[in-house]
Amino acid sequence: MTALRSLFQPMAAKHGLGAACFIGVAVFIWVVFLIVLPQISMLDYSFRLNLPKPDIGGPLDVYTLDNYAYFFSGNDGQLNTLDIGILVKTLVAAVFVTLIDILICYPIAYILAHSATGVAARLMVIGLIVPFWVNEILRAFAFRVLFGATGLINSIGMGAGFWDQPIDFIRADVALYSGLTYAYILLMVFPIFNAVEALDRNQIEAARDMGASWWRVHWRVVLPIAKPGIASGATMVFMLTAGALAAPQILGGPSNLWFTQLIYQWFNESANWQRGSAYAVILLLVCIGFVMMLMRVFKVSIGEIGR
Amino acid sequence: MTTKDIVLDHVSIRFGSYTAVDNAHLTIRGGEFFSFLGPSGCGKTTLLRCVSGFSEPTEGRVLIGGSDMKGVGPNKRPTALIFQNLALFPLMSVADNIAFPLEVRGISKKQRRKRADELLDMIALPGVGDKKVHELSGGQRQRVAIARALAVEPDILLLDEPLSALDLKLRHHMRTELRAIQQRVGLTFIYITHDQGEALTMSDRVAVMNSGVIEQIGDPESIYNRPKTSFVASFVGETNAIEGKVVLQAGEIVTLETPVGHLQGKAAGGRRYKNGDPCYLFIRPEQLEVKSGLEAPNTIAASVVKEEFEGSARILFLKANGIDMRITRVNRGASDALANGQALVCAFDPDHATVLPHGPLAGA
Amino acid sequence: MNKGTGGGAIAAGYSLLFFAFLFGPLIIMVITAFNSSSFPRITPWECFTTEWFDELFGNERLMAGLVNSVIIGVGVVAISVPVGLAGALALSEVGPKVRAALYTVLITPILIPGVVLGISTIVFWGGLGRSVGADYGSIFFDGMFLTLAGQVTFIAAYAMLVFLARLQRFDPTLTEAALDLGATPGQAFRKILLPFLSPAIGSAAFLTLLASFENYNTTVFTILSGNTFTTTLASKVRHGTDPSLSALAVIIIAVTLIGAMVHEAHTRRAEVMRTGQAARSKVYGNPVLSVLAHPVMVLVLLVAMGGGLAYKASQHDARACKQQILDDKRALQEKLLEEQRERIRAQKAATPAPAAPSSGPAPSSFGGAFNPGSLAPGSAPAPAAPATPKTPSGFGGAFAPGSLKPN
Repeated sequence: MTALRSLFQPMAAKHGLGAACFIGVAVFIWVVFLIVLPQISMLDYSFRLNLPKPDIGGPLDVYTLDNYAYFFSGNDGQLNTLDIGILVKTLVAAVFVTLIDILICYPIAYILAHSATGVAARLMVIGLIVPFWVNEILRAFAFRVLFGATGLINSIGMGAGFWDQPIDFIRADVALYSGLTYAYILLMVFPIFNAVEALDRNQIEAARDMGASWWRVHWRVVLPIAKPGIASGATMVFMLTAGALAAPQILGGPSNLWFTQLIYQWFNESANWQRGSAYAVILLLVCIGFVMMLMRVFKVSIGEIGR
Repeated sequence: MTTKDIVLDHVSIRFGSYTAVDNAHLTIRGGEFFSFLGPSGCGKTTLLRCVSGFSEPTEGRVLIGGSDMKGVGPNKRPTALIFQNLALFPLMSVADNIAFPLEVRGISKKQRRKRADELLDMIALPGVGDKKVHELSGGQRQRVAIARALAVEPDILLLDEPLSALDLKLRHHMRTELRAIQQRVGLTFIYITHDQGEALTMSDRVAVMNSGVIEQIGDPESIYNRPKTSFVASFVGETNAIEGKVVLQAGEIVTLETPVGHLQGKAAGGRRYKNGDPCYLFIRPEQLEVKSGLEAPNTIAASVVKEEFEGSARILFLKANGIDMRITRVNRGASDALANGQALVCAFDPDHATVLPHGPLAGA
Repeated sequence: MNKGTGGGAIAAGYSLLFFAFLFGPLIIMVITAFNSSSFPRITPWECFTTEWFDELFGNERLMAGLVNSVIIGVGVVAISVPVGLAGALALSEVGPKVRAALYTVLITPILIPGVVLGISTIVFWGGLGRSVGADYGSIFFDGMFLTLAGQVTFIAAYAMLVFLARLQRFDPTLTEAALDLGATPGQAFRKILLPFLSPAIGSAAFLTLLASFENYNTTVFTILSGNTFTTTLASKVRHGTDPSLSALAVIIIAVTLIGAMVHEAHTRRAEVMRTGQAARSKVYGNPVLSVLAHPVMVLVLLVAMGGGLAYKASQHDARACKQQILDDKRALQEKLLEEQRERIRAQKAATPAPAAPSSGPAPSSFGGAFNPGSLAPGSAPAPAAPATPKTPSGFGGAFAPGSLKPN
């Protein structure tokens, strides 16, 4: 409590009592009621049984590891390869999408920061932002139009004679990966741009002047500067891709589930919120663990995310 | 005309275990132009923020016009602070900036504008009221900041290195101008600076600070000519410091044994020394004279390292038995230039050399 | 700089490809909105039509979702912006250690999967509701409230990032100067800090509205049995598509482009005015062009142009063209049937003994049915499909002996 007071008093002295109260109350509600308590109650929920309403709070309402056990071994005690497989596939796919985004966005961020000037640069920034004002669902829909059996790609491909049967891009997950790659481009470009922009142009020119090839300039001079930006962008893209629901629902093949879709099914189709919560906790822990591991590997702190 | 004295009554300010200001005890008289002079980090800005009310002393009291300022916020004190970066409000016009203190006191728009125009006349910038701050030059902004601080007629104006961002010429001009404004409005000015030239030219009195301690308080002449500590002697103005041990004291004149022979100087403040006391002898560069050849009492044999030409003066860098020395000579034409490596003897008058106990030197 | 020019060409080429990837799907989607084909596509082009717009506005569920989305969006903006501001101010005041911890806590909602946020929100408020004995009609089980809570959790962090970026450029001595000049802390906050932050308030409000409007992952859980615009859209896309969605995209993209252009006009004007170069500028020095370049004028012109185009397009009558297409299809069908009858007749005449049915493999008979149309194979099923029920004799084609037209 004294700690809170010591935080509150300088604020009141600086911005006035009203402002300090507002800041204190708003941050308190946000942290406690919107962030911390919901996560805790989800965790609590995930350790409970899916009981009929009269039994809630009764003798049967005990903590259990059932929901987690189900994820690992299913009902029959065998290894639950289906669900674990889906989780692994989701993570691998998210890593894949993140890597593609890095590859696509690094050059454009560099060009935007150091090659484009004046009107071209402004147009590029607008061009980057405007597509992301369009609804996420519609963006996914656009990829369905593009990659559908009678979509433009198939029409062109067959019209030009590259293939003679419509290719099922949806089943092959091409549409899904393209859509996901597209969906989070903006979140990759701007962190890298912010990092690379800080680079002094003279450094690049000095390196070129000393005879370094362009890839060596990037590897030795630009990439180290861009690293925190790449880490920040990669973290966001990975988390959002792994947690994506709309794109897999719209663009995913019928047999190819995303882990979030499993959670969705537990909630909305099986009405088993407890197990859904357990699966959500698993997704959260695995994603956070994975990101923290990568941050340690690349020596980046969470404070650099969102800059 | 205000006569509110400011009393710092044994003020100490600590941040954790770090002591920023150590037992400052002094009285600043109403209507005085008072400067705190010291290197960066000496605690002078901390002391100023304590007077203006942004921090409270850890020990001691700050009294303004006899009343204790404890618990009185910066907005309630009869002080106005000119910030180092001026802190003019960038989103407001010049007139709105100047009238801000009136606005927060609920004075009507019309009266505010009238007062702002008066103040703009006073600082000789009539008609710029509707301009934005960034449209003004550095010197103009300086004056606007002063006008804003004067808008509600404070008793004390506090200035935190306000000239440091200006170029040399403007700085010199603003020194004169600040002094003129102070004399016109008759306020108490408390001025913080690390620039001894500013402190000496403008102030009625100067306090020299080092590592949180006020080393000396006095008028500019006594600070320069009669420093009381080795720090003041070496910080204010250029000087030659020669280390030595006392061998004899006769009245005010002390004889030291130094690496360059026996030298004499005046004991500052009538201090008595025992034989063998470690001391410094301080000789200002302009007090040294080049003599050719002859060895005599209070002369130092040295050789020329280089000579720098500064227009009105020549600065001669010498080496005397391993000690670096410098002499400032008024430029009287090219004839008296000296060759590098040339041996010479420099002499001084013991009345213009100061002996002080061994202590820290500025920049050491 | 000879190396530089080569790099410039590569950079320009890459940028072009990149933006083609960015805009290509959207452009194609926009075009499909005007094709009368009942599946969104460009090829084959049937008729220019605006009927999908009528269909869109006639979709009551979508329109009801839109109302919900607007209500939620306004609520989210009204809560997220102040909360985000509070978070940013708190972060800028506390010491470095507390700051790092608080920043981590406040930034995590952005990183947590939206699905997880949605679930934790309904579980928490539901549990709270049950523990106070509230019934299912209460606020704890109200989809709108839960969506508001769930969205604010992470959208406030977006607003916070906007404010933090702005606060980093704030000079704290301005607040001190205001206090020193006699302002109360509250006055300094209102008259100095808030005006400085006000541009950020605008962009934070825009960002939060957009984020709220298009959120799906959290909302699909928290809205419970209700619907927002985006969840309705998603279920529509999942259960079969038609070009009315493309029509929606056209509207959104048009609004977006107009917004972007007006914003650009505004920033340019503000920049020119600020640097005081208006008199020297070619555009802003000229009285007529200056008025034309004013953001409000740009808005009016663009909206007028858009409205005019929309009106013109709505007057376009696609019925004649569609009839034509239908007739073409029928004619094609007739022609195919006729050809097949011809073949059967010719076959009968040539070989009195009917060939064994097994000798005519089915795939080749299909090939026979489609090839004469010389349509792209991918688009072939559509014209054929509507014709089949009307002309049962079409089956005759399938029975046509393939031996006549070998592979």
